Amino acid sequence: MKLPDAQVAVLEAASANEERTIDRIAGEADLDPTAATRAAFELEEEGLLAVTERTSSEVSLTEEAEEYVETDLPELRLYRAAVSLGADEEAVELGRVIGEAGLDGPAVDIALSNFARKAYGEIDSGEVTADPEKNADSDDEAAALDALAAGSAAYQSDVIIEDLENRGLVERSETTVRSVTLTENGVTALMEGIETAETVGQLTSELLTSGEWRDVEFSEYNVEADAEEPTPGRQHPLRRMAEQVKDTLVGMGFQEMQGPHVDADFWINDCLFMPQDHPARNHWDRFALEEPGAIDELPEDLVAAVESAHREGVGPDGEGYHSPWDLDFAKALALRGHTTSLSARHLSGEAMGELEPPQRFFSIEKAYRNDTLDATHLLEFFQIEGWVMAEDLSVRDLMGTFTEFYEQFGITDIEFKPHYNPYTEPSFELFGRHPETGEMIEIGNSGIFRPEMLEPLGVDCDVMAWGLALERLFMLATGAEDIRDVHGTLVDLEYLRSEEVTY
Amino acid sequence: MPTVEVDPDALRQLTGHADKDDEQLREDLFALGLEYEGETEDGEFELEFAPDRLDRLSVEGVARSLRYQYGDDRGVYVPSTNDPEWTIHVDSDVPEERPYVTGAVIRGLDLDEPALESLIQLQEKLHATMGRQRAKGAIGVHDLTMLKGEVPNDEETTKSITYTGVEPDGDTFVPLDSNAEMAPADVLTDHPIGDTYADLVAGQDRYPAIYDEIGLFSFPPVINGRRTEVSTDSRDLFVEMTGTDQWTIDKMLTIVCYALDARGGQVEEVRVEYDDGSGPAAGRELVRPDLATKRKRVAHDDIETMLGVDLDERDVVDYFERSGLDAEADDGDDGTEYAVGVPPYRVDVLHPVDLIDDVGRAYGFNELEPRYPDVSTVGGRHERSRLEAAARDTLVGIGFEDLLNFHLIDEEQNYERLNVERPERSSGDGANGDSREPGTDVFGGGAAPTIEQPYSEDFTIVRTWALPSVMMVLENNTHRAYPQDLAEIGFSAHVDESENTNVAERRTVAAALCHAGASYEDAKSRLQALVDAFGKDLETPPTEHPTFISGRTASVEIDGETVGVIGEVHPEVIVEHDLELPVAAFEFDLEALR
Repeated sequence: MKLPDAQVAVLEAASANEERTIDRIAGEADLDPTAATRAAFELEEEGLLAVTERTSSEVSLTEEAEEYVETDLPELRLYRAAVSLGADEEAVELGRVIGEAGLDGPAVDIALSNFARKAYGEIDSGEVTADPEKNADSDDEAAALDALAAGSAAYQSDVIIEDLENRGLVERSETTVRSVTLTENGVTALMEGIETAETVGQLTSELLTSGEWRDVEFSEYNVEADAEEPTPGRQHPLRRMAEQVKDTLVGMGFQEMQGPHVDADFWINDCLFMPQDHPARNHWDRFALEEPGAIDELPEDLVAAVESAHREGVGPDGEGYHSPWDLDFAKALALRGHTTSLSARHLSGEAMGELEPPQRFFSIEKAYRNDTLDATHLLEFFQIEGWVMAEDLSVRDLMGTFTEFYEQFGITDIEFKPHYNPYTEPSFELFGRHPETGEMIEIGNSGIFRPEMLEPLGVDCDVMAWGLALERLFMLATGAEDIRDVHGTLVDLEYLRSEEVTY
Repeated sequence: MPTVEVDPDALRQLTGHADKDDEQLREDLFALGLEYEGETEDGEFELEFAPDRLDRLSVEGVARSLRYQYGDDRGVYVPSTNDPEWTIHVDSDVPEERPYVTGAVIRGLDLDEPALESLIQLQEKLHATMGRQRAKGAIGVHDLTMLKGEVPNDEETTKSITYTGVEPDGDTFVPLDSNAEMAPADVLTDHPIGDTYADLVAGQDRYPAIYDEIGLFSFPPVINGRRTEVSTDSRDLFVEMTGTDQWTIDKMLTIVCYALDARGGQVEEVRVEYDDGSGPAAGRELVRPDLATKRKRVAHDDIETMLGVDLDERDVVDYFERSGLDAEADDGDDGTEYAVGVPPYRVDVLHPVDLIDDVGRAYGFNELEPRYPDVSTVGGRHERSRLEAAARDTLVGIGFEDLLNFHLIDEEQNYERLNVERPERSSGDGANGDSREPGTDVFGGGAAPTIEQPYSEDFTIVRTWALPSVMMVLENNTHRAYPQDLAEIGFSAHVDESENTNVAERRTVAAALCHAGASYEDAKSRLQALVDAFGKDLETPPTEHPTFISGRTASVEIDGETVGVIGEVHPEVIVEHDLELPVAAFEFDLEALR
């Protein structure tokens, strides 16, 4: 028979005739008690050893009690002092007695309460009388403490131990003592001879295929020790957030749009009924390109329709802007300031042909702003852009859609603040209650596209749209405080490695 | 967004609600869409609002809106006007760059200091918004008593001033905040305000000028003369506006007239007469201000559809009137329609939808119950977006840390720091772009789309490849634990005249392995794993690329097409990025995995 060496040692240290405690076995087998206990149980399972358990209870003195063994119980010191001042005959002022007893601090309260409890006398109106019948030298509790201190097993009545425990002077504890005896099988096995099985570190392919693994013992590891952490491949947190939003929108029936980052101002602004002299279209705010300068071609009919909307408006009671409109300006290239240029390309049929209602589209793509960089603003950011095209859409449909969307991110209690935007009417700023702070914060912009935008694009039903920055949603959801630490080349790899996963 | 400073005491006085405390006023203003941003040193409210209702650029306009909100006023209000005494002549010398003028006289004012400040603020705010920084429209306000109108030869008693042009170093006048006689050209160089607006007249042969019988008294759009300066003693004002669009300056004038009417002034009309040869408006005769009410028709059905609720006709009329509009219901082609009267200060009403918005605001948009639209559509990802996500998943699975960098970069980072020669910028004749320029025949070496007015010198072009950004992240993280195996699937672009936008946009897979012993083989094994995962064939014939060590560089060929480059990064590039470990890297077009 082959057994692991710990089991062999325990078996050899055990006796068939005498119960031996694990401690003793461990000593003889030169094992630590935990290992010996484990080996004993393993041997019991194999029927070679019997393990018995006995519970014993012990009483030990607390630190406070140890001190009283030295200095006497405070109430006894009080009594002795009172008697020495003649309080057994006539009441003595309390302060004097305490002084005589040399008590101070918490000991005073302890002395007074126990003096009263054990009826060593009375304390009334600040005076002490001592009961002359009492004898401080035969106090039960003091005697019990002395006996316990001396290690005497013959301890006192449970009542006294309980009193002492209540006073916090003793602690009771229970210990389990295990003992083992050899079973008959154990004796037989020993007589037949037992070999020590070898221990192995690494489980190898050879051990597995040869079947040798059955006879080996696996050396123990320190399973609690820290392990070296790998540097796992991880998706960028902002990218993960984008994926999460895409999943949500696809689940709500939205189809994804993509399209040019560098685009003609026509698609970025003119199609959105933004007048050419609108302040947002001057070169300080937009990323106009120096090279290349202009788009080659724009759809002619669409250009004519858009120009007419700008100049004359649409419908019998419409009117246009009193602003210049110039084709060269419309053809100039820029990095798109919003991804609404994609919506314009899709609505016009330029991107994927004429669209029949109903439709839902979205994109989460970069937009560019030639503006100041700070903790919440970058020159480029991901814009979440979405729109719904259908017959007879109302403001209520818009509210219902966005309420549903934001709920997916824990933002409820949405408010719609009427707002102004050149290409939507009505327009709303969206405010929502922050899931953590409870503040109302701006979470996006929305509206119903104006007829002056839709009619030239050839859309004759309603389209409602909204947009917000993915970075804003990210900061809300994760509590990130400076977006420059997240997006861009200044990112700290430690952040990417340790940022909590969101889902 | 524009801001306007409003004195709460003036608001109480102009609305006739002395009982409103500041807190109540702030709430009422918020309901109008005017957001309280803080207070000035003088205790005025700083209000921010969306730039549609430009009639609210003054305390007078804000007060008028509040009175409608309180229900104190209903319907359209139009100030009464007196017949014209004054004429503005426009002669043929007027600069063609600024051909239009308009004007009005306001009499009987008694402006205290705050009221005068409010007028000045309105002027500035209108300049900043509709006036497009005075380029499209500029306002001049003058003390009427200081003007001397010419007496014509015939018996008419009309007085007039003349809008014309002046040689830059022609007639002189004393501008505001000055004691010296100056010619217009001197104003532009020697006067602080002249300096600010010099661009507006730069390059013109003749500058805009206004004369009365005494002489030159105003140099629009730059500065007025000191002679006609307005003070709290001024009772009668002459307001003129010049610009590049008649409608725009007429609307600006209307807003000023409404504000001064609210201050107790009596509006008096002015004739504007364009002489023959005075530009696009030659021969036109106008009477200004034009305070005519506009009419637009709105269908009841359209209102109900837009708001998603059923409405009673009388209620709709009520909502219109509470918005400062007039409305009468009648039977039109589409059932019940409203003929809606729109006051002349409403510059934001272009289409009936703008009036429906007013109804919605009066009804209270937040009273509407949200409902999820009963419209069924099928959602889905764009194919390229699915490809990108799948490639990113694979990269992460083979141990790369995913990066997300800016698309904008500067030329040195994009080219020189990677040892790639910077292509020469075109001289603006459009003749360049495809290939054979120095550096353009290597991966990442093409000409970049270049920004005209970069905000920062760190972001001047769109990157032509993503590896420079990945190298920057390595450079910024030398204090962090290695290995640093980083990858980015990112956007880049280069000039390409075969595209309609003249820009070819692409997404590339860029990856760098940086750790002790990082080698060509490490990079290739990961690239191989990635390409295999997409069922493609990879070959890596040797090539040269200035970013990589010669003899340890290969083309990335996927399914027989050259789509990228792989190799051990050249020590020059590594040292340039302050790295002390080898880097092996690759980059190729994402489309190749499709």
